Amino acid sequence: MAVNIFYFFIFPGLLFMAVAGGLLSWFDRKITARVQFRQGPPLLQPFYDFFKLLLVKETILPRHGSPVVFMLAPLLAVFGATMAGLFILLPLFNISTGFRGDLLVIFYLLTLPSFSYILGSVASGNPLAAVGSSREIKLVISYELTFLLIIAAVIMKSGQHFDLDTVIAMQRSGTPFIGSVSGVLLFIAAVFCIQAKLGLVPFDMPEAETELSSGIYIEYSGPPYAMIKLAKYIMLFILPALVVALLMNGMGQGAGILWAVLKILGVVLLLTLIRNTSPRVKIRQASGFFFIWMNLIVVIAIVLIAFGL
Amino acid sequence: MNEPLKLIADTSECLYLQWLIILPLAAGLLLMAVPDRLMLLKGLFALAVSLVAGYLSVVIYTSSPLMTAHGDMARQGCLTFLHSDILGKAGDYLTLTIDGLSKLIVLFISILGCLILLYSLAYNRSVRVKNYYPWFMVTLGCAYGAVLSDNLLLFIIFWGILGITLYKLIPGKDEESSAAAKKTMILIGASDTIMLLGMAILWKMTGSLSIDNISVETTSLLAVTAFLALLVGSFTKAGAFPFHSWVPDYTQGAPATSSALLPASLDKLLGIYFLARITTSLFVMSQGMKLILLIIGVITIITAVMMALMQHNFKRLLGYHAVSQVGYMVVGFGLGSVIGVAAGLFHMINNALYKSGLFLTAGAVERQTGQSEIEELGGLAKAMPVTFAASLIFAMSISGVPPFNGFASKWMIYQGIIDFGTGEGVASSLWIVWLGLAVLGSALTLASFIKFVGGIFLGRADKASSRIKEVPATMWIPMAVLALICIFFGVFATEIVVPRLIAPASGTFFFSGLWSSSFVSLLVAVSIITGVLVYLAAGIKKYRTEDSFIGGERIQDQTAYPTVEFYKTFMEFGFVSRIYRKAENKAFDIYNLSKEAVLWLSDRLSRAHTGVLPGYVLWICAGLVIMLLIMI
Repeated sequence: MAVNIFYFFIFPGLLFMAVAGGLLSWFDRKITARVQFRQGPPLLQPFYDFFKLLLVKETILPRHGSPVVFMLAPLLAVFGATMAGLFILLPLFNISTGFRGDLLVIFYLLTLPSFSYILGSVASGNPLAAVGSSREIKLVISYELTFLLIIAAVIMKSGQHFDLDTVIAMQRSGTPFIGSVSGVLLFIAAVFCIQAKLGLVPFDMPEAETELSSGIYIEYSGPPYAMIKLAKYIMLFILPALVVALLMNGMGQGAGILWAVLKILGVVLLLTLIRNTSPRVKIRQASGFFFIWMNLIVVIAIVLIAFGL
Repeated sequence: MNEPLKLIADTSECLYLQWLIILPLAAGLLLMAVPDRLMLLKGLFALAVSLVAGYLSVVIYTSSPLMTAHGDMARQGCLTFLHSDILGKAGDYLTLTIDGLSKLIVLFISILGCLILLYSLAYNRSVRVKNYYPWFMVTLGCAYGAVLSDNLLLFIIFWGILGITLYKLIPGKDEESSAAAKKTMILIGASDTIMLLGMAILWKMTGSLSIDNISVETTSLLAVTAFLALLVGSFTKAGAFPFHSWVPDYTQGAPATSSALLPASLDKLLGIYFLARITTSLFVMSQGMKLILLIIGVITIITAVMMALMQHNFKRLLGYHAVSQVGYMVVGFGLGSVIGVAAGLFHMINNALYKSGLFLTAGAVERQTGQSEIEELGGLAKAMPVTFAASLIFAMSISGVPPFNGFASKWMIYQGIIDFGTGEGVASSLWIVWLGLAVLGSALTLASFIKFVGGIFLGRADKASSRIKEVPATMWIPMAVLALICIFFGVFATEIVVPRLIAPASGTFFFSGLWSSSFVSLLVAVSIITGVLVYLAAGIKKYRTEDSFIGGERIQDQTAYPTVEFYKTFMEFGFVSRIYRKAENKAFDIYNLSKEAVLWLSDRLSRAHTGVLPGYVLWICAGLVIMLLIMI
């Protein structure tokens, strides 16, 4: 049990994920800056941001609603991200321990951050936060089915096995799932799902700085906001890692580690480029995009899998 | 579940069985004679009797695993007490049985009955229903009776009385609740009749009325008819599509305690109990029957939760969820595998716990504020902290947030579906459809409970809410106990609850998924505590409180975006809005449809009443000819 707690808090858990996620966040910001012909932040900027919020900035609590729920929600978000990340990274790093979770558990834990943001923002009693949380929950409903269908397609590809170890092992003994037509379709849908899960443009309407002044996060400040930042860093790391594990062969030994890092960086690069080259869409457009087009792509992929393609 | 039951010769152990049924029924009849002025006294007496019944059910739960009590016992009893064989042949029908499944259900009937009675002591002083406690006790006794009876005729007698108590536990105080009561009575009564038909077919086919002895393959047309007829009964009781339409009307009109007792818990326990008997013991399901169950299951999940999203009245919203959750159980039983049955049973227990809990919190809010519309409420979290905490836990349980109990049972259903996908046949190859719709239903449930919790307890408080107080202890203790059970069942789901509680009723199985509920829960606790420590270390004490920031504007009293408006966007899709309009006009309500059909038919028939004598003579002659033809 002690070793599992070590896994959870240190490696590959909270600490490792936070550092990796912070570095990825720097990567994202640097690329964004280069796209906009700017210099971009220094390497440690995400960590400066985090510690300034945690240690320097004061906390402002909302006068209405429920301050307790408002304060606890970010902690739940960090927990959900870390727990899901642990269940993704343990098989990815090939660490064998009795403590694991299957794909359905990962799927549910990955919704926890969104759920806690919504709960926290509704608890603040701010009308703009309410608009933001209404958009967030509608976005969750929109992409959740697509995300599940992607996972179900991977389960189908690996012969009804739904633990990540087997999924990775199947790919390593054969070809990676992305090396087929259905795999490519799944990858496209997965990238858009991640984009929405991370709340990046074009799916950033829950926070929408320009119209809602950060929407669901509007009332957060100081340490609780630092926790939200932390959860976002972790999500930026583990969601691309999940795609690498599900479709792109996972991670090998030795040089394979470098190769896996490059794969994750590649996925993040793709996300960053999408967010820098598209405008924010309306919530209705986003719902239609996932309900009709993305689901269609995944269903085509599933039909192809049924024919063994 | 199908293994032969061990007969117990020693009647002393079985005697408890009869008292469990007789005691609440007798108490109910006795209380009928006591005037309603002595409300509290009646309540306390009912609580005492139900506690005794609870003790008996614990004794039965811990008794030897399998036993049947035969008709002989009732006859023996008559001989000892009355010195005559008064029952005669009828004694053969009074057969009771007890196995893993019925023990489990009896235990939970007792737990929920006691908790809801405790809650009623304070609640039903303000919300009056005539003869509430007598009918409550009759309900308990009949529920025990229905679960314990082995003979199908005995079973349907208890089952039918439960339909009447359902009618009696709603006050016909205004037109709306009278209409709801009538609708409930007609739907339940009609379904009982159809069930009786199914039982008659079964008797014709097998010559037996004992649940233990019957096991029919659903291959012939007759067997399929019997299966479907019994299914109608179970679905109407539990509230599955398309026989669900009485549930939301009932929950909107009835007092919260009646809703918590019948549609939320006992009707689910009994309806799903009977579904379990149908699918695992009375019949052997074919692929086609599984397909029917799965289709009905997912349709129930999705349609009901979509309706719940649009409700403004929170009791009606909960009513739609009481329907939607049944879909998961039906899917579990439709899978036909041991893990599917176990998942269905576990979800049934969990649902009874959090759904009756939710109705109790709804009742508490309604009692303290006098409102039942979500938009009239808001910001009650500070005024009613215990109710808020309990309803947040129930809401997270029903939405399947890990590590609560709703997640554990849904997770079992999902892995049942994935395992089912390895099988042969149409139903198996469509496993992704069942999985996708079940998970989508879960996301929509979460959405509508954000509306429920957010709209009632969070958000900006009304000025009036400063006068609102927490409910008395006899009301919040039952809610807190249910919430704690929900947490316990979630935290120890895979280690204790499923192996010890569910597996004896369903048969042993192995999880194909990976979920260590208690260790993850430990990590939740550790993380939250660590987080709070980090907050404190980071100097959270030097906080200040400010009004909401809305981009620098002064906030007005009317500035709000109420949670009931959250899902309006979805209504704007052309296809969805057309369906909603139809649903609002009750185009999918089987009660309304059959009412229209009956009225149309009676209109046609009334045209024969012309008032012309030769016409009537002609009818009479035609009738005579037809009768003669049949007779010959």
